[in-house]
Amino acid sequence: MPDTLLFLLIVVPFLAALGCLLLRQEQLRSLIIIGTGGLLTLCALMLMASTPFSAAPKSILGISVSMLIQAADFFLLGVIGYYGYKHRNLLIQGLAVLQFVLLACFETFMVAPGKEYATFYGDTLSLVMVLVICIVGSLICIHAIPYMKEHEHHLQLEGSKQPRFFAIMVLFLGAMNGLVLTNDLSFFYFFFELTTICSFLLIGHDQTEIAETNAVRALWMNALGGAALLVGIMWIYSKTGTMDMQAIISAGPKAALLLPLALLCFAGFTKAAQAPFQSWLLGAMVAPTPTSALLHSSTMVKAGVYLVIRFAPAFAGTFLSLGVALAGAFTFLAMAVLAMGQSNGKKILAYSTVSNLGLIMACAGINTKAAITAAILLIIFHALTKALLFLCVGTIEQRIGSRDIEDMRGLLTAMPWTAVILVAGILTMILPPFGMLLGKWVAIESSSQQLFVIVMLALGSAVTVAYWARWAGQIMSVSSLGAREPELQPMLTRGPLAALLGGAVLLSALWPWVYNRVAGPGPGLANPASAAVMGFMIVVIGSGFLWAVNAMRQARTARMTRPYLCGAPENVEGTYVGPINQDMPVILGNAYFTSLVTEDRLTCWVNMGAGLMLVLMIGGAL
Amino acid sequence: MKSLFLALIGMAVAPVVGGLVSGLDRILTARCQSRKGPPLIQPFYDAAKLWGKEVTATNPWQAFCAVMYLVAAAASVGLLCAGSDLLLIFFVQAVGAVFLVMGAYAVPSPYSQIGAQRELLQMVAYEPLIILTIVGIRLMTGSFRVDAVFALDQPLLFKLPLLFLVLGYALTIKLRKSPFDISACHHAHQEIVRGVYTEFSGPYLALIEIAHWYEVILVLGLVSLFWATSIAGMILLVAATYAAEILVDNVSSRMTWRWMLGSVWLSGLVLSGINLVWLYAR
Repeated sequence: MPDTLLFLLIVVPFLAALGCLLLRQEQLRSLIIIGTGGLLTLCALMLMASTPFSAAPKSILGISVSMLIQAADFFLLGVIGYYGYKHRNLLIQGLAVLQFVLLACFETFMVAPGKEYATFYGDTLSLVMVLVICIVGSLICIHAIPYMKEHEHHLQLEGSKQPRFFAIMVLFLGAMNGLVLTNDLSFFYFFFELTTICSFLLIGHDQTEIAETNAVRALWMNALGGAALLVGIMWIYSKTGTMDMQAIISAGPKAALLLPLALLCFAGFTKAAQAPFQSWLLGAMVAPTPTSALLHSSTMVKAGVYLVIRFAPAFAGTFLSLGVALAGAFTFLAMAVLAMGQSNGKKILAYSTVSNLGLIMACAGINTKAAITAAILLIIFHALTKALLFLCVGTIEQRIGSRDIEDMRGLLTAMPWTAVILVAGILTMILPPFGMLLGKWVAIESSSQQLFVIVMLALGSAVTVAYWARWAGQIMSVSSLGAREPELQPMLTRGPLAALLGGAVLLSALWPWVYNRVAGPGPGLANPASAAVMGFMIVVIGSGFLWAVNAMRQARTARMTRPYLCGAPENVEGTYVGPINQDMPVILGNAYFTSLVTEDRLTCWVNMGAGLMLVLMIGGAL
Repeated sequence: MKSLFLALIGMAVAPVVGGLVSGLDRILTARCQSRKGPPLIQPFYDAAKLWGKEVTATNPWQAFCAVMYLVAAAASVGLLCAGSDLLLIFFVQAVGAVFLVMGAYAVPSPYSQIGAQRELLQMVAYEPLIILTIVGIRLMTGSFRVDAVFALDQPLLFKLPLLFLVLGYALTIKLRKSPFDISACHHAHQEIVRGVYTEFSGPYLALIEIAHWYEVILVLGLVSLFWATSIAGMILLVAATYAAEILVDNVSSRMTWRWMLGSVWLSGLVLSGINLVWLYAR
């Protein structure tokens, strides 16, 4: 059974990608995408029944799996080298050649046939990742169908580039499934590099100058992480003589392995765009929105945190672990502060992703059972909500032509449905009884023994609430009940949005069950949000919500007044009578604290601080 | 079951006590300024009068936000009385704070929107301090729960004196007292009129007043935890702290948000850092 599911989860997306490339007909492509999404979702749900499992498939379609992966490894490095050459980037070329040589030496001279072990392994962590990748990822791909049509219509391209786009999107899901299900370090390296290539191709998809610059930046940063990963893997193999991840992890913390594990964490930090590598993810927003949604929520950056959480037991209780916690908490705080100074909606989302991933890293570094549970739960809820928010912003951008949150002021009038979904999404990000906040709660409780970590989490948490509430507030900023047109959208746009929000709300309501399922049995794990607490919150806040909705209904019949302008005479709504009897418009705007937190001034210091944190982390492993 | 009962009692009694505290506050403040002041139950008269006024709104969403603010404030008091988790209580009161800001944002009026932004800055200033105070309590009791505080045999104040000061900063902001009454204050004579409250009127303003009473009780409840070993100690500490708040309110002038953020984060972090280091070193 697991063998079949593995095939369906990892190989079918590759075949679907091939289908997207070859069958260049629009309806057929949509069918392939929806079909693959449905199949992946089904398989992921079926996998729930058979975890934990381990499997060692020897061959696929008659070809030896390990031979295939070895060949593909060199092919991928060749591709990276080719793009390095094409974009005249010496760093990428160097990193590709370095990895090629290292890998060749490794495969020929070092790897000796050892005893057999499971090349694929699934536990709760992999299961959660597979569910997130398959369900959230598929919803994003489905939302992309009408989005990309509109996107290309807007660009007025000669030939459609959608086959290539969707092929990479679907391929990405397969690569991620492979990454989280494999138990063999060399397979892991292959899938890790594959996600790097996929994200490079997706970021550069529009082939504008800025898209290519940003794609190249993403490629060299992730290739650097790939090189660190390869060196770490070789080092670990030379010390332990095995590529079996579970064997390495279950052996517990070993002083000799700390430095290679620090390299693995470094690779995780580049992939998860942790400071000082956040710039590649920020640059990724030049790509079409589904790309950002995919990179930020269910794939790519989650591979980085997955790597660190996966190996966390192997460095529990060491200084390396504390280093990871400090670096993560620092990223959490610094990125939240940078988000405070942004009015570009996608940038706010990007900074918030990096910030939240920092929180997850901090949890992995705290490295107690409760903290790891918090990290996994944060992955789930972050994926759902962040995908939702990106898709909302993309939908809004296609309608109003801007991604600036100042232009979304009063969006309730223009796009009532999407505006409400966006505000609800933002609130699930910051308020109880929703999962993100509950996860943060467990995170704070489990880090109370680390002074510096807890101080940074406390500060970052407050700033996070501020930048989200500001955005949500002004979307609803509407002066009177003008005639609102009902909002029309394709089913494939609206469905994924509703599903993502519904998923986030439903899973939050099921928190006690989800928590127990993720934490598994074991002592010393009190879920602070127990069923009783959640029951109280849901009943009180839920009935309050119903009362509030009712009050809002009644307020619709109340006498409508104009905003208070301190008695200034008004002729036309939204204006006041100014000098020489002119109607002066009332112009509102947010403070973005440009004197304190501008990006160009602060980023340099943040990167320096984060670089020092990384030095601390790796130095702690020496 | 007992904790549910306590929560319900707390939610029922809190607005009455909160209103009385608010009335007492007005009398004491008046005496500080050589005035006689209103009767003790004036806040209830005010709320009743507001409740009877015509319902007007600029955006129906305001009504939603006002109700959510009240519900969240009441729920946080209920959780406090039930002896629940301190962080949870804090997060639930944040729901109210966020909805108050959203309500102020709901109307495109310069006064309420500037108020909303300043309110967010106030939250940025006080939230970390409250979290750090809660962490200090956790280090003393070994648990985040309120009932664990009552199991101690020595008042928290002796071990957490600096964190108590830090909490004082947070409370001054939360109670909208000078020098931190920058987003709204009790009197509509500010440069931004009544800030976040400007656009609420009639019954909605009454809801918000009642929600504020709940918040006053929540704040005083947190203060009382610092002398949880005896009832007399709790009352004395609360009275002394509130008297100090009134004094500070009357002798200081309103400052800017920059000053608030800078001074509160700096002094708050230094003081709580020192206090927490003692606790970790034990």
